[in-house]
Amino acid sequence: MSASTRILDEVRRNRRPMRFLGASGQLGYGIPTPAFNAGLARKPDLIGCDMGSIDIGPTYLGKGEMATAPAATRRDLRKVLLGARSIDVPLVIGSAGSAGAGPHLDATLAIIREIARAEGLHFRLGVLRADLSRDGLRAAVRAGRVTGIDDMPVLTEEEVTEAAHIVGQMGMGPFRRALAEDIDVLIAGRACDTAIFASLPTMLDFPTGLSVHMAKIIECASLCCLPGGRDSILATLDDDGFVLESMAEQRRATPVSVAAHSLYEQADPYTVYEPEGRLDLSAAEYAAVDDRRCSVAGARWHTSSDPCVKIEGARRIGERAVLLAGAADPRFIAQHRDILPAVASVVRDLVCEDAPEDYTLRFRVYGVDGVRMAALAGEALPREVFIMGECIAPTADRAAEVVRTLKQYLLHHGYAGRLSTAGNLAFPFTPPEVSLGPAYRFNLYHLLHTPDPDALFPLEVETL
Amino acid sequence: MKLADIAQVIRSKNAGPRRLTLDLMFATDADYQRVAQSPSLSRENIGARYRVAANDVTVIPYPAGRAIKIVLARPIMAGDPGDRDVYGAQQHAPLLEVEI
Repeated sequence: MSASTRILDEVRRNRRPMRFLGASGQLGYGIPTPAFNAGLARKPDLIGCDMGSIDIGPTYLGKGEMATAPAATRRDLRKVLLGARSIDVPLVIGSAGSAGAGPHLDATLAIIREIARAEGLHFRLGVLRADLSRDGLRAAVRAGRVTGIDDMPVLTEEEVTEAAHIVGQMGMGPFRRALAEDIDVLIAGRACDTAIFASLPTMLDFPTGLSVHMAKIIECASLCCLPGGRDSILATLDDDGFVLESMAEQRRATPVSVAAHSLYEQADPYTVYEPEGRLDLSAAEYAAVDDRRCSVAGARWHTSSDPCVKIEGARRIGERAVLLAGAADPRFIAQHRDILPAVASVVRDLVCEDAPEDYTLRFRVYGVDGVRMAALAGEALPREVFIMGECIAPTADRAAEVVRTLKQYLLHHGYAGRLSTAGNLAFPFTPPEVSLGPAYRFNLYHLLHTPDPDALFPLEVETL
Repeated sequence: MKLADIAQVIRSKNAGPRRLTLDLMFATDADYQRVAQSPSLSRENIGARYRVAANDVTVIPYPAGRAIKIVLARPIMAGDPGDRDVYGAQQHAPLLEVEI
């Protein structure tokens, strides 16, 4: 009998509060061992880890690459896999490999199989894929079943065709189907972080609102605590609420710190939208159990009559190369708003002498307006600036040609009152031009309205 | 008094790639009330600081967390060409000097 069946049978036979260990909110960036081991000692019924996010931008999804380092990812996966198998409870990992598309999931599975071989582990592995069929999606676009999120432009069939990878965020349904198939380890592609923890208790008829609220908090490990951190967190759930306790002694879950966590990366602190419905936190209550533990109750769940899946896709828009350089001449800095476009124009005349203007060139001037989306007028100029010139062109060679030409002409550009006639720029190293590979943008960030979202995410089970 | 002198946390982050969310958190209920009632945090004033229309600004008081949430439409979607802050984690700066 595998771990999921064992836990389901045990709680069905003898109903009791359940314990969930949120091991890591970002698997692959290190899981502190003392807190994780303290969590294992509490005999949780499930260990869960979130491994991905859309926050990291479109390139990982587009390229099919993980954001985390392979060695660190392997270390974290080994830790949670050995931990879960040592106490025979399900290990559930969502949004595998940072972005949760096929290549990310396959790379994660390869590491899992390698660890199992090296450690002599044998278990049943469930795999949920999140890649969506392009034909199905194009048909949905034609049928008007796809809508933009947050004013995203209307999706076209062409964008579906051009996206490098397209994933859907699976909800609790596919996870429940997998946990019902007698598995020990479940690795899912792109998934709602709540599904990692809320699927098992809702199979056992614990209230959905409480289960999803608990999941939303513990998927970030101890971030809800004071001070917040990445140490593992334990939640104990019953029919009336749940209690949160960080597995790191110095981190305290207080009513205010836990309530405030509902703000994190959410546009609305009172509502969380999931494929199957919405979590309503307007009546949530937070109370201190003691100095380090907080109990939470009151979350309500409203099942949707229009289930929909969030879909994400990234499209290649060219190859990126950058020029990195500093400047410290006050006259150059004072005139940089004229100098940069003047040099861009010189570069264009040169590189377009026998080729079309097929690239974009942008500058960010750090110290002035490189960071803020809207710098304020009338601010004093700094004593030094860092300049990044960014080119996106159809080929890597073309992007490199543009930034190398830019380097030379920005270095030697003459401007009114120039004293530093040997060069305008300080290079921290050479070459100061860097080719960064393909550039992507999110071209799908939409809702797919579908009566049966679970059918989009097939389950495979293998025995290791 | 400036917002940076009264708030315990002033932070920004994406809420999805098309929205920026700013959280202001306070150590005491009194601090929270003082800022929550201040006209400095009107949609118009915040919109002017970020150069977005007042209609693209939402201000949500959240007393349970002694916090105020502000949500803005990002002028450039996260990761699109020209973006300056893919995670949106440094866009709190224009709020620091708001007079309360």
